[in-house]
Order: sequence, then C-alpha cells, then structure tokens
Amino acid sequence: MTGVPPPVVDRLLRRALRDGTRGDSIRGDLVEEFRERCTRDGGWRARWWYLRQAFSIWVRAGRLAGDAPGRRRRHMTLESIVHDVKYTLRSYAKTPSFTLAVLATLALGIGASTAIFSMVNAILLRPLPLEHPDRLIYVSDASARTGGFMSAAWPNYLDWRARARSVEMLAASREEPQTLTGRERPRRVRARRITGNFFRVVGVRPALGRDFSDDDDRPGAACVTALSDPFWRTELGADPAVVGQVLQLSDLPCTIVAVMPRGFEYLRPYDIFISMGPVSGSANLVNRGNHNGFNSTGRLAAGVTVDAAARELREISAALEREHPATNTDVTAKTERLSDRFLVNVRLTLLALFGAVGFLLLIACVNVANLLVARGAARQHELAVRSALGGGRGRLVGQLLIESTVISAIGGALGVALAAWLLRVLVAAAPDGTPRLASVSLDVAALEFALAAAAICGLVFGAFPAFQAAGVRGQQALIRGRAAGFTAGSHRLRRGLMIVETALAIVLLAGAGLMIRTLQQLTAVETGFNPDRLLTTQLEMNGPRWTMEKQHEFTRELVSRVRALPGVASAALTFALPIDGSQWNSVFVVAENSAPPRSALRSAAFTPVSEGYFETIGMRLVRGRTFDVRDSGSAQKIVVVNEAFARQMWPGADPIGRRLKQGWPEDKTEWREVVGVVGDVKFNGLREETPIQVYLPLTKDETSRHLAIVARTPGDPSSLTSAIAAVVHDLDKDLPLFLTRTMDQMLDTSMAQQRLSMIVFIVFAVLAVTLAAIGLYGVVAHAVTERTHEIGVRMALGAGRRDVLALVVSQGLSMAVVGTVIGVAGALALSRVVQGLLFGVTATDPMTFAAVVGTLLTVALVACTVPAYRAVRVDPSAALRAE
Amino acid sequence: MPDTYLGEFEHLLLLTVLRLGPDGFAVDIARELESRAGRRVSRGALYTSLDRLEDKGLLKWKTAPGGPERDGLPRRLYAVTPSGVAALREWRDLLQRMWRGIGHLLKEPSA
Repeated sequence: MTGVPPPVVDRLLRRALRDGTRGDSIRGDLVEEFRERCTRDGGWRARWWYLRQAFSIWVRAGRLAGDAPGRRRRHMTLESIVHDVKYTLRSYAKTPSFTLAVLATLALGIGASTAIFSMVNAILLRPLPLEHPDRLIYVSDASARTGGFMSAAWPNYLDWRARARSVEMLAASREEPQTLTGRERPRRVRARRITGNFFRVVGVRPALGRDFSDDDDRPGAACVTALSDPFWRTELGADPAVVGQVLQLSDLPCTIVAVMPRGFEYLRPYDIFISMGPVSGSANLVNRGNHNGFNSTGRLAAGVTVDAAARELREISAALEREHPATNTDVTAKTERLSDRFLVNVRLTLLALFGAVGFLLLIACVNVANLLVARGAARQHELAVRSALGGGRGRLVGQLLIESTVISAIGGALGVALAAWLLRVLVAAAPDGTPRLASVSLDVAALEFALAAAAICGLVFGAFPAFQAAGVRGQQALIRGRAAGFTAGSHRLRRGLMIVETALAIVLLAGAGLMIRTLQQLTAVETGFNPDRLLTTQLEMNGPRWTMEKQHEFTRELVSRVRALPGVASAALTFALPIDGSQWNSVFVVAENSAPPRSALRSAAFTPVSEGYFETIGMRLVRGRTFDVRDSGSAQKIVVVNEAFARQMWPGADPIGRRLKQGWPEDKTEWREVVGVVGDVKFNGLREETPIQVYLPLTKDETSRHLAIVARTPGDPSSLTSAIAAVVHDLDKDLPLFLTRTMDQMLDTSMAQQRLSMIVFIVFAVLAVTLAAIGLYGVVAHAVTERTHEIGVRMALGAGRRDVLALVVSQGLSMAVVGTVIGVAGALALSRVVQGLLFGVTATDPMTFAAVVGTLLTVALVACTVPAYRAVRVDPSAALRAE
Repeated sequence: MPDTYLGEFEHLLLLTVLRLGPDGFAVDIARELESRAGRRVSRGALYTSLDRLEDKGLLKWKTAPGGPERDGLPRRLYAVTPSGVAALREWRDLLQRMWRGIGHLLKEPSA
C-alpha cells in the first residue's frame, strides 16, 4: 500500500524547505519512510510519526533550506523564539491557577473594552455613511430668546435656499410615517418626506430608477417614492421591475421611481422616501408661522466652515425677521454639523461608558502586572540559575517578554470571543432609537483595537518583570538566595500597583453608585398618573377618505367597542401619551391679560383627549370637572388645564371660568373656557419638567387624525392587544395599529439609556472590586509568607496574636486607604463629565461617596484579614527553626 | 587534541556513514543509528547534524534519482571525505591512547 502523507503538512514542509536538491531529498526521505511505516505500524501511527518529524524539520527550516547563509541567523532567532514559546506554554501549564487568573483578567478587560469600543466606533467615531459627511450641516429654526430648536417653517427654508451662498445645496425633509394599504394587510411604514435635491445633498444615487428632481417639489406634482433596499427586498421581493409600480400610501397613489442602494441610511432606518409635491402647496405649509416638523440638510460650499455658514444663515433669518415681523419675530436659524446633531443624545452615554471601560482595562493591566511581578519574584532563583549558566541578559528579558506576549495573545483571543457575546447583549440592551445600531459589529477596527489592547497589556506590563530580571546578577542572586534586595523591590512595586488598582476601582464604584442613585430617583419620580396595567396603542387616520365626520364617527365607535371588550375596565383616546412627549406645541393667548408682544407669548402643549381619559390613566382632578359625554356633542368650547398652567398663568387665582385661545392674537381661533384643573403628569420623559398643558375635548368639529388608545384592565394588559386589533380591523380593515406597548414598557424604554449605563457600570465596578480584592489578598498573603520568620521572632518576644493581626491588616489596609483617597480625588475630578448622565443626584453626592468608600474598605479589610489569620497561626518555634 | 572537534553525535554519524558504504542515505543512516547505537533521533536533528558535518568538510553527498517509492524525489547519498576519515582516525588514536593500561579496571565481574 502506498500511503499519502497528510497533504497540509507536506505543503507546509515544502514551503519551509523551498525547492532544490536538499529540500526535495529530505521530503523524499520522509515520504519513503512514511510508506514503510504505513505498512509496518498502520496509517495513524505513521501519520503521527510524519507530523512529528515534519515539525522537527520545520522549526529548523532555516538551517536546512541552506543555500543563503545570511538567512541563517534570523532563523536561529526564530528557532529560539519557537523554543521560548514552547517553554512558556509548559511553564504556564505548570501553574494553572496563576495562568487562569491572568487569562481571566485579560479576557475580561480586553473583551469588555473591545465590545464598548465597537459600539463607540460604529456610532460615534466612524463617519456617517454619506458622501463627505464633514461638509453636511443641519439647519433649523430656533427661538432667538431661548436657543431652543423648533422645526423649520417651509417658506423660511425656501428663503435660506434661495439666499445662502455658503451652502452649495440645501434640502429639507421631515419624518412622516405613512399607512401602506392595498397589500395583504395594512402596514405603517417609516417614511421621510424629502425635497427633490435631498439625495444629491447627502450624496447618494439610486441603485435602480431615477433620482428625485426639483420638479417633484412643485405644488400639485404627483407623489413619487424611493424605496430603501431592505424594504424593497422584504416587502416587494426584490422585484427588479418595481420602478413604475404604484404604492397606496395613506390612501394616495404614489409611484415608485427608485430603489436606494444597499446600506444607505439617513440618521435612522426608513422604509421609503416620498416627494414634496402633494403637500408643498398646502395652505398649512405656505404659512410662515407654521413650523411643521421640517428641518434642513445642507452641503457646505467648498472651503466654507460650519461657523461661517451658521453666521450667514443667522443673518438671513434676521432679514426675514424684518421682512415678516408677524411670523418671524424671535425666530433665528440654528446650524450644526449633521453628525453632531444626530449623536447629541448618545454621545455622553457612550463616552462615559468608554471612559469606564478604559478604567477597567487599566485595572486589568495593573492586575496582570501585579501577578507577573509576583511570579517574577518567585522565579528569581530560576532566572539567577539561568543567568549563571550563561543565559545572556537579552535572552532572559526576551524570554520574559515572550511570556507576557504569549499570555496576552491568548487572553486577547478569549477577550475577542467574550466581546462578540457582550456586543450582542449590549445591542439588545441599547435604548430604542439609538442611531446606527445596525452597523455595530465586531469588525476589523474592533479586532485591531483588541490586538492593540493585548499588545499593550503584554508589552508594557510584561516589561515590569522583564526590567526586574534585567537587574538580576547571576551569582549574586544565587548567593543571596531568598534574601531581601530584589524581593523588597518587587514588593514595593506591587504595593504601588495595588494603590493604583484600588484608586481605579473607587472611580468605577463611584460611577456605579451614581448610576444606581439616578435610576432610583427616576423610578421614584412622581409620574402623576397610574401606569399599572395600562395598554397603549396608536393609529393614524391619514388620507382624503378620513373626513372630519368619518373620524368622529370612527373614534366614537372605537371607544365604545373597546370599552365593551371583556377585561377592559376603562378606555379612552388621546392625541399624545404621557412620557412619549408632546406632538403639538402652540402659542396661546389668555383673555384677561392684554395681549403681550409676540416674543413674550408663552407656548403650551395642546392635547386633545376623549371623555374618560383622565379617569382611565388615573390623573388627579384638582378643581372643577373633567370632560364627559355631553362635551363631545356640544358646541360649547371648553378646556382643562394642568396645575402648572394654572399656577403660572393665574397665580393665586381661581382658573375655573377663565378663557384662553390657541394661536396668535390675530388668529381666528375660538375662545375656550377653563372648566377644570388636573394634576401635572410627566409628559416629555421622566427627566423633563412638566410643560404647561391644555387638554381639549375631542368633538365632532375637533378631531385628531393621530390618536392613541389607552385601556386599563384588572389583568395583564398585553392580553388585550389582539382583541383591540380585532376591533380596529372590524371597523376599518385598512388601519394599522402601531407602537402597541404597556405603560410599564413605555416607562422602561424612557429609562433605557440610564439603565444601560447602570448595568455596565455595576458590572465593571464588581469586576474592579473583585480584582482589587484578589490583588490585595495576593500582596498581603505574599508578605505574610515572606515575613514568617520575622513574625515568629515577634511572637517569641511576646507579641500577642492581636498585635500580629493588627500589624498585617494595617499594612494591607494602608494601601487600600491611600488608593481610596486618590480614587475619590479622581472621581471628584471626573464628576463634571458624568453630571449630564445623572438625574436627581449630583456627581459629588456625599452619601454615594460614603457608601462607595465604605464598600471598598470593607472588601479590602476582608481581603487583608484572611491572610492575616494565617500569620497569627504561625508557630514561633517552627518559624525560627525554618531559617 | 585532534584538530577537528567532533561531538559525540557527530562521531556516531560519521561512523554510521562509513559503515553503510557508498549507497547510504538519510533513511538508512537513521535506521542504522537506531539498531546499532540504540539512538532514536528526530529527522530535524539528523539533517541539521548532517549539514553541519558537511559544512565542516567531513561529509559529502551526491544525488541519485529517486524511484516511485519516494514520488521520484532525489536521494542524497552520503560519503565520508578524506578529512572526515582523518578526523575519525585522530579521535580513535586519542581514545586508544587514553584507554591504554586501564582496561583491567573495567573488567566485568566474573561470575
């Protein structure tokens, strides 16, 4: 039988030996002998033999390849490295607990930091996936008085676009979700309405079909739409003939003219983009006083800075203010870099997490250094012997560096595996609406980061023991044996490292403590309503078929049918839900006061609700009455205001019976009478102050296209989901429900960012404290072993157990105390950075810091006491005899 | 002291090559070393030592075409050079000089 040697091994061998008689003859010899062995010993044993021999040749390949003598030295070095690596692996295998401790530390440090780095890189650092993203700006109207953003009025946008010279192109767009019907089931699609130049501004061309053009912006132009790549694939089966087909969007036909390229995303995922034509001539848009949710995206002209563009746009807005004082008083333009605007909510959280992970990585490195130094001290004798036998200092230092490099390479590999898992957890835990979450992955940059982290751990911290070794004098060390010098030096080094580690742990603990307090405060916030067992879902009646009459009919029917469902205790409709935030802010006029100048007019959150709303969500009635069934049919104009409104507009007076009107003083809106005052509810998330609010009744003349259903049940609210969906489907088969959530889920979502920060900080802090405790234990235990003799002498001379205990513990604890002081100082110095993440607690909160210091010192005390008890058990006579 | 230093393994190798005669190649050398000297050696170490002896000018080789049993790859047939033979002779003489007169000290104990 002629066997074939393992082809992979053969190929490696061939590459190592190269061609030529030498290489060929060596391979021939191996093949010949392999075949002999196959027949004699069987295939497996022959293969195993072949593998071993091939390896023995491979490591010496440099010498055998032979022809160029200059190569020899380098390969000799390679050979010695291979030897060192083998030696390293063997020596690590001999001390499994040390090896495990180092590997676990490295894997945790590198894994956690790589995962967080991946998120920071994908979301913050990597440029937006658009053409020259550094030249893209975001422009919007803003209040000149407060600086607060408002959306851009359409005519203002048109004027910016016509007049601005510093901007090459200026597009406008707004989020405008649509109802897609005419397919098997109605569906709400994420849509953005855009001007014809939008794609050119952001620098993307359709993959299929044509780009939008300025013609598509003309009032009355037919609706056209561009599909995103994922929508085209999932909803339309990637049909290549899709261009020219018509989608039914909110009851209007809209022709598909383009499919966007894969991977294109503007700020967040959208299903479709739709053109301006159908709305650009509407009275609502043409009115300069209306800010209808648009904002503007521009591309800077070549060589123009963001600041210069911002200045020019402010000047244009100032001109507009002079030209249109009725609508533009107090309105200026606010310009930012697009990437800044879009990351404003996540930047702080991510940077804080990145900082935390940096600390964790540092702790891991310090811990590894500590372990390696301890090991180096223990190996002093071995190194001395090697040096006495002629091991050059360079070779010894090289060996130590290889040891730390090998272990950090393995730790790094484990860390990458851990990072892949952590990243999945983090992405799942990330708050809804975190931008660019889809692009977060363990990519090349992340691997490079992990590699760099591992290399730094290996080189910088492996260098400590290496430098120590460099100081070894062979004979000296042999003669002095285990005596002081070297050991004392390493002990000082370890104490120093422990102090650093404790200080870093304190910083992370403080972060965790502050985040826990923040979440406690958020959970304890008085919401003003009862979120228990409340289901919410939303719908939108878009399109011409939804006349006012039909909307009124539908909503009345909907409420009564939902209330009749088994398991529904009460139900109502509202235009905007608490926590979720306002959908309609408007200025208003209070009758009794003479109309103030325009710039002094206040604005309130206007919220139409059905009768029974306040009762359903459990709001408090402070005065007067709420809406009832009579109001929906009556022509009498009434409102209910919240306490904040009453307090601020009519301080100290009875608001019942007063009148107010939505809109500008000259608007023809009707005066309404206040019939009730209700308690404040948290409206824009849990952190924001409650705005002044006006609730209007839903009537047959005043309906709302966008509504949320709220239903309270005695049981599990999510069990109502399908029943409510069935009612809606029965009333209108083309109306999709969306954002169906329990109120508890809404509250959870609103705290998601803080929760994520808290979880990460807690995990890191626990790791940090554990590592510090282990380190402290190690240093103290080591000191006890070293000082057995001294302790024996002390005890023989009459020192009591308590004295010895106090001596050992106090020396250990002194490191923790010094570390704590430094750590607290560091945490206070960093407090400004984290303040923005906190709620209801200052970054220098004394209670939190006291708890943090207490926790750490308690852990440190335990870590020192355990080895100290071992010291107490020293038998003085045995200790004295030992030397 | 002989002019050329020979390590113990080099010494064994030269003797093996000498013993195998003109057709000896690495496989034979390894087999002979194992059966006669009880010496198992990795092929890597074997080839390195053979090369070192070649560098010292004590060994030389010529190629012979290989048959199908080795996929047609060439063989290197080793021979000891005259300086190799001289070195072996010097070492043998040295050892013999050292042994003279002390042979009886190592006599096996008679039963």
